Amino acid sequence: MTARCPSDLSLERFLLEPEASPLRPHVAGCTRCTARVEEMRRQGEDFLRFVYPATVEAVEEAAARRPLFDLARWLAPIPALAAAAAILVLFRPATPPDDYLGVKGGNTIGLAVFLQGAGGPRSARDGEAVPADAALRFKVRPSRPCRLWVVSVDAKGQVSRLYPTEGDGGAELLRTAELPGGAVLDGQPGPERFLALCAPQPVPWSRVEQSARAAMAGSAEMVRLVRTVPGLPAGTTQDSLLLEKKP
Amino acid sequence: MTDHRSRAAELYRQYGPAVYRRCLRILKEPEAAKDATQEVFVKLVRDMSKLEDRETVLPWIYRVATNHCLNIRRNAARRGDDAAMPELEVADTTPADVYPDRALAQQVLEQCDETTRTVAVGVLVDGMEHEEVAELLGISRRTVARKLDRFLETARRYLARS
Repeated sequence: MTARCPSDLSLERFLLEPEASPLRPHVAGCTRCTARVEEMRRQGEDFLRFVYPATVEAVEEAAARRPLFDLARWLAPIPALAAAAAILVLFRPATPPDDYLGVKGGNTIGLAVFLQGAGGPRSARDGEAVPADAALRFKVRPSRPCRLWVVSVDAKGQVSRLYPTEGDGGAELLRTAELPGGAVLDGQPGPERFLALCAPQPVPWSRVEQSARAAMAGSAEMVRLVRTVPGLPAGTTQDSLLLEKKP
Repeated sequence: MTDHRSRAAELYRQYGPAVYRRCLRILKEPEAAKDATQEVFVKLVRDMSKLEDRETVLPWIYRVATNHCLNIRRNAARRGDDAAMPELEVADTTPADVYPDRALAQQVLEQCDETTRTVAVGVLVDGMEHEEVAELLGISRRTVARKLDRFLETARRYLARS
């Protein structure tokens, strides 16, 4: 590191948004920083490949235990409200069913990806490792009618059009639907992100493809990190899910 | 995908690499860094609102991870288990005469309060500017300089005594 080279903390900021980072020119022209960024990316990939799958459950458990404590703390001065809130928390369903598509208030879309298994189809988890040639089906739940595109982007920047497979502008979607057809993964190991894009008006395929490719920048790290596609019409809602294709 | 568990998993996927890299930097061993990363993130998800704040999240998780890993090193030293733990590397922006003895500085680090440790590691190990450490800790540059001076002075006293 030279006196002018950014610290690891600054490089962490760079890694989150390399395209928009003011450090980009320096990193591009500095052998040392380029090497450090590459090393950090490799370590990030190791995290996603080895650490995340082994530890995510403990993190999820900790998060699931969190709301009751927070509510108790915030509502402690109002015992009746605290008790009511605690009862609500305690009696809510512990986990959603497999095909649950969480949709909060407002304009949203939920995407579920189903894997064909020996015991029948099951919902894939975000970040789940799956066979590289797995067969998939999709279910979407919009909070309001929209024009739907379901696409996927892999680490090479390949944007695949999954639904609708024909026509332009996206399919008209009125309500929750299991989509006809499906997809079979290409057999190539690596991350692939699946996106449901729900626009208030028709959007040409060319624009969807271009925006999705630009967002993921043909990099495995970006496919893992970037969850939404910018550059689509105002009011477009999105949901996405990442699968790690394993040989 | 909108319940707390799923959101925590998303944030872990997004920021876990930064925590893992920080832990790896301080602990050096991938297995120890893996365990520490999980422990740090379990702490972080207790305050999801901070994790959702993109402006401040990185300095915060960096600070929590640094303190956690330095505590691991300190506890290992107290148990006498630190022989196998590689030494912290000093940033090459740090002049040799400022940082006279690594092993000694490690001993001094273990005696310090969290803020002083983070200042010392930030400047001497990570090669951060005083201003950046100040931002990381939410303290003034003057306080950073003062704490660093105190750390170095203590290290020199240890050195003179030894």
